[in-house]
Amino acid sequence: MTELQALWAALVLYVLAGSLAIFGAVLRRQPERTVLILLVAGLALHTAAIVLRWERLGHGPVITMFEILSSNIWSLLLVYALAYWRIPAIRATAAVVMPILFVMMGWLLMTSPTEGHLPATYHTVWLYIHIGFGKVFLGAVLVAVGISGVVLLRGTGYGGKRFARLPDDSRLDELAYRFMALGLIFESLMLVAGAIWAQDAWGRYWAWDPLETWAFITWLTLAFALHLRFTLKIRPRTGAVMIVAVFVLAFLTFFGVPFISTAPHKGAV
Amino acid sequence: MNGFDGTEFMGQTVKPPDNPSVMGRGAPRDLRISRLQRALGALASLKLTLAILAALGGGTMVAYLSEARTTWALVLPLAAFSVNLAAAVATNPVFRRQTALLMFHLALIAIVLLIAVGRLTYLKGQLELAQGQVFDGQLTQEESGPWHPRRLDAVRFSNQGFTIGYAKGMRRAATRNQVAWTAPDGRPRQAVIGDQDPLILEGYRFYTNFNKGFAPVFVWRPRSGASPQLGAVHLPAYPLHEYRQAQEWQPPGSRSPLWIMLRFDEVILDPEKSSEFRLPTEHRLVVRAGEARRELKPGDAMHLAEGVLVYQGLRSWMGYTVFYDFTLPWLLAACILAVASLAWHFWRKFSARPWNPPVS
Repeated sequence: MTELQALWAALVLYVLAGSLAIFGAVLRRQPERTVLILLVAGLALHTAAIVLRWERLGHGPVITMFEILSSNIWSLLLVYALAYWRIPAIRATAAVVMPILFVMMGWLLMTSPTEGHLPATYHTVWLYIHIGFGKVFLGAVLVAVGISGVVLLRGTGYGGKRFARLPDDSRLDELAYRFMALGLIFESLMLVAGAIWAQDAWGRYWAWDPLETWAFITWLTLAFALHLRFTLKIRPRTGAVMIVAVFVLAFLTFFGVPFISTAPHKGAV
Repeated sequence: MNGFDGTEFMGQTVKPPDNPSVMGRGAPRDLRISRLQRALGALASLKLTLAILAALGGGTMVAYLSEARTTWALVLPLAAFSVNLAAAVATNPVFRRQTALLMFHLALIAIVLLIAVGRLTYLKGQLELAQGQVFDGQLTQEESGPWHPRRLDAVRFSNQGFTIGYAKGMRRAATRNQVAWTAPDGRPRQAVIGDQDPLILEGYRFYTNFNKGFAPVFVWRPRSGASPQLGAVHLPAYPLHEYRQAQEWQPPGSRSPLWIMLRFDEVILDPEKSSEFRLPTEHRLVVRAGEARRELKPGDAMHLAEGVLVYQGLRSWMGYTVFYDFTLPWLLAACILAVASLAWHFWRKFSARPWNPPVS
C-alpha cells in the first residue's frame, strides 16, 4: 500500500466515524464503540502514511500545505481520540468535532501532494518541538470546542434533546476550561520553543512577523478567556462563545496567516 | 486568582477605624495605610487585568497594522500589566497560599522587565567579510538600544571561506562557514558556523545570512606616494543579483570613482541539478574609469591618473547578522519558570477536585 492509498483509506475511516457520530446524535443512538474503533483504525493508517512519506522524503510533514494539513488532521484526531477514549461522558461531542475535521479533510483532498524543499533553517530539533507543542495546543482547544458546541447547541430546541444525556452545562463548561488551561500551557510552550528556534534560524527570537503576531494575539485571547471566567463567573454559554472565538483565531493563525505573510517564518505555506 | 479581600496589606492585617472622626494619635498613619491599601487594591484589580489584556491585544494590532513606529502601543499596556501584577502579588493573600500561582506571576513580571531591559541594551546589525578579511568592529547596518554597552570594537574574527549547497531548482541548502579568532587566553581558535550555529564572542552572536557573493581584490598604489592599500570590492549578492554583478567603487584617496563588473560564461548554480556556490574557474573583470575601459585578469595592472590599480584575484564574501541581548538566558529561564509554575498551579487545582469523581 502506498502512502497516498493509506492516507485516503484513513480519511474514509474518519468520515465513517464522523458520519456515524452525527447520525448517532441525530437519531439518539450511542454507536460509541464503533466510532472509537474506526477512529483508531484511521489513525493507524494515517500514521503509516505519514511515516512512509517521512521515510521517502527524509523530513517530517512540515513544509507543504498538504503535509501540514495531513499532520494536523492526524494530531487533532489523536488528541480527540484520547479524550474520546478517556472521558466517555463527552463522546457525543464527536458530532460537533468531526464536521470541523471534515472541512480540513476536504481541503486536504484539494491540495497537491507534491514535495517541498526543506530550508536549511528547518534542520533543527526545535522545529519539531515547536510544532509538537502547537499541535497539542490546537488539539486541546478542539476538544474544548466540541464541548462548547454541545453547550451552544443545547441552547436550541433541536440540540437540547439530542445532547440531553451529557452532563449539565456548568460541568461541561468546567471541563472545557480545563482543556483551555491545557491549551494555554502548550501554546506558551509553543511560543517559547518557537522563539528558541527563531533566535538561531534568523538571529532574533521575536520579530513581530505576521505569524508571531497572530500567535501572540491568540495567546492573549486565550489568557483573556480564562481570566474572564475566573474573574466574572460568566455563564457557560458565554464561556462557550469565548472558546469558539479562541479556536477560530487559532485556526486562522495556523492556516490563514501563512498565506498573507512574506516573512521567512512561513508556517503552513 | 481570587479577588482582593481588602483586609490584608503586605502580610499584615489592617483594621480600619470604626469612626474616622474620633481617631487617636496613630490615626493619620492608619489613614495613610488605608488609602495606600485602597490604591493598591484598585491597581491589583482582576477586572483591570482583563482591561489590560484587551489593551495589550489592541496595542499589538495597532503596532502590527501601523506603518509608523508605534512602540508606545505595546510599552504602555506592558507597563500597566507589570504594575497590575506587582500590586496583585503585594496585596492579594491568595499568593501567600498558592506558591505556584505566586511563581507564575513573579515570572511574568520578570519576563516583562527582562524584555524592557533587553530593548534598552540590544544590538542588531549586518556586516560583510571577504574571504580572509578580519572583522574590525564596523557594521554596514545597525540598530541598538540607548544603553547598549558597545564592546563590538573588541571583537575580532576572520572569514576563512564557506560552502553552500544548492538543491535542484536553486534551493539553498546548508551553509558552512569556517571562521577563526583568538581566544581570551591567546590561543587561535577555529569553528564552522552557519544556519542554526552562530559564532558567539563577547555576548555578540554572529549568524551567516543569505547574502554572499564575489569580491574582486585590488592593490591600490597612489601616485601621491602614500602607502599601497589592499582592499576587496563586494559585488551585489549572488545569485540574488546574478545579472547585476557590477559595482561603483572609489579607491582610497582618489576623487574619481571606478565602475567594476565581473563577467564569466560558465553556470555556477545550475537550476537543473544540485550544485554548490563556488568561484568561476575563468572570469574577466571589466574596469571603467571615465572613458577608459580595461578587462583585467589576476595580476594585471591599470594605470590611472591618480594611481595604479592592480587586480589580485577573485574571492567570495559572506554576509553576517549580529545580535546582542544579554537577557536571553534569563528570559528563557523566566519563561520556563512561568510555564512550569502555571502547569503546577493547574495540576494542583484540577487534581484536588476531579471533574468526574468516581461514584462511591
